[in-house]
Amino acid sequence: MTNLRLLAALPATVAVVLLASSCDTRHAVAPEIGKPSFHFDILECRPFKMTGGGRIDYPPGTADKNPPASHEYETFGAHVISEPNGQTDELGHCLGAKGSLEWVDHRPEWNINGRPLNLHSLEIRWADFATDTDCADGGARWGGVLVIKNTGQQSQFEVFDCDNGEPGAGHDGFGIRLWDFPYEVLCFDSSLPPAEPSCTLTGGNRQLHPTH
Amino acid sequence: MKIALLLSLIWVPSVALGQMQRTATAQAFGVSVSTATVNQTTPSAVAPAEGGMAQNDAGEVNIASLVTVQNAYVVASGWSDDGYSDAVSTASLGSVNILNGLITANGVVAIATTTADGSDAYGSSLANLVVNGVAVSAPGPNTRVDLPGVGYVVLNEQISTGSGITVNMIHVVLQSTGLLGTQTLGNIIVGSASSSVN
Repeated sequence: MTNLRLLAALPATVAVVLLASSCDTRHAVAPEIGKPSFHFDILECRPFKMTGGGRIDYPPGTADKNPPASHEYETFGAHVISEPNGQTDELGHCLGAKGSLEWVDHRPEWNINGRPLNLHSLEIRWADFATDTDCADGGARWGGVLVIKNTGQQSQFEVFDCDNGEPGAGHDGFGIRLWDFPYEVLCFDSSLPPAEPSCTLTGGNRQLHPTH
Repeated sequence: MKIALLLSLIWVPSVALGQMQRTATAQAFGVSVSTATVNQTTPSAVAPAEGGMAQNDAGEVNIASLVTVQNAYVVASGWSDDGYSDAVSTASLGSVNILNGLITANGVVAIATTTADGSDAYGSSLANLVVNGVAVSAPGPNTRVDLPGVGYVVLNEQISTGSGITVNMIHVVLQSTGLLGTQTLGNIIVGSASSSVN
């Protein structure tokens, strides 16, 4: 009988333990603010999701906001869902991805046809999970095809995406490069060659979802 | 009997885990006017309830000659996922003119961010803001400026909702004062972003 009582009490105990572990929030890390240092060279095909958006103040792309009157900033939203299908493209990128990108560059020199440069994804084609980054929660490199809404021109693009703890501002990173149009917002760090780094967010958040 | 008890070990936690599902919401808009005769919000974006991103934009907005805005872009992203839920919304605008020049600015950014770790308005800003002829630089959260004969404006308004945050960069409250006291006639909001994770 005693054993039965003990056994009957177990579900509640186990529930509390499992509940506590399931609600355990991930600990925020404390990277060096203003010093993005992300690698994206060793990549693998893996299911994951990266979501969010925000603001970058590029140049210089550090954790400090530029004076608002300078209009030296970019705002964006972006998400990618990686579902590798076992195939890679000619460059070795993992095929089987979907998502979207919306990007606005507010710098006066990128005012085209009376409006800020506005990039809008048409298709996300590939997504690689970066295993060599020092992004605390995970990094990814992904891309596809977008349209420059100011002109209607299409271009292939890739982004460098980094979840580096909380809050996203001052920690996480994002960068973009177009292949068929002379435009990129990337923050290279010469102290970490070969570096293809992201710029540090000044607002918003990037969130890695390890599975989906 | 023992099998039933063992099953309960598995079943009870699974119910508890189900209750941990979080819901992320995000929305943003460029301009909103609500008065007795005008009720309009544009452009606006609301993240899909099932998770995803929405965006919208407008080259020029003019609502009842009360407010004009150029180059408004809004994005809302929200994802519900145990332990990893996140919501981010942004509203960015170019030149802004409210009430025939009573308030002007030429760069407005509202950003609301919520994760499991909390909410913030980092990245929000106002450029070249002039209120009633006076330049206002980087107003702190919830800065109130009276507008004689009109009402008042709250700059960089940040409203905590418990599970999230709403950021209104310019919020004009239209009022009238008479025999019955002060009455609110309407609201003009420029640059709004909201996010929450419940």
